[in-house]
Amino acid sequence: MNEISQEDPVDRRLRDTALYIDDDGFTARVMQQLPTPHHARRSLRGAILLGITLLASVLAYVISDGGRFLVVAMARLTTLPAFWLFALAFCSGILVMIAGVIAATAKAGELQS
Amino acid sequence: MELTDADLVARVLVDDDQHAFGELVRRHQSSVRGLLRQLTRTDLALADDLAQETFLRAYKNIRSFRGEARFSTWLYRIAYNSFRENARRRKEFVGIDEEHLQAAHDPQVADPGLRHDLMHALSLLPLHERSAVLLCCQNGLSHDEAARVLDIPLGTVKTNVLRGREKLKRTLAAWGPD
Repeated sequence: MNEISQEDPVDRRLRDTALYIDDDGFTARVMQQLPTPHHARRSLRGAILLGITLLASVLAYVISDGGRFLVVAMARLTTLPAFWLFALAFCSGILVMIAGVIAATAKAGELQS
Repeated sequence: MELTDADLVARVLVDDDQHAFGELVRRHQSSVRGLLRQLTRTDLALADDLAQETFLRAYKNIRSFRGEARFSTWLYRIAYNSFRENARRRKEFVGIDEEHLQAAHDPQVADPGLRHDLMHALSLLPLHERSAVLLCCQNGLSHDEAARVLDIPLGTVKTNVLRGREKLKRTLAAWGPD
């Protein structure tokens, strides 16, 4: 707080005369002028990505003769030894974790800057 | 439990939560508008326009708020900068002493019986002293915080507060007992 004097009569009068100003629609006017929030833009981006992914999936399904490659891949997976299945799951987990750490670091850096 | 300003700022930063920003506006609108009303010499319309500009700038630049100072101090700095830019545009900085003298000789302004004498005495101060007195004596900022808001050396703030306060006392004493 102020180093000079809290009890100075002029200071006291100034503080006493500083009336609270009623909001009176001020906050609403400010809020109306704020730009579109990022999450709204993010949702739109997400919807576009989802749409493109669905379209690509449908195309892949049609082109690959009803998704036969999936059946083949699953059949191959079932014939793999347990060790290789475990290694595959472990590597996938590590990859997802690395992606998560990179995303978190990027977000933290963005917040600090 | 009521969220602190820092919590609300974090919500704006992380989730772009406009409701959180709205709460910050509600909390600080009175002090920011009050400061600007005094700086603009009670030009209410201009003060509110500048206050709106202040909050919009705060929203756009909230990532530059590092939490080293109080959120209110950061807002005062934006408000003061908005006021200065506007004053430059209106060329109010030029001839402020003449304006000061004119106000001192204006019988309507000088008559404490007509309006709030303290506010008028304050409006008679030159801008640099008025700003320092308003921030330190009315809004409770430390000299250090006021120096950051006004972007001037700490010693200058102390001098301006002392001079401004003394002038206020002399003016009020000359107008008679309250």
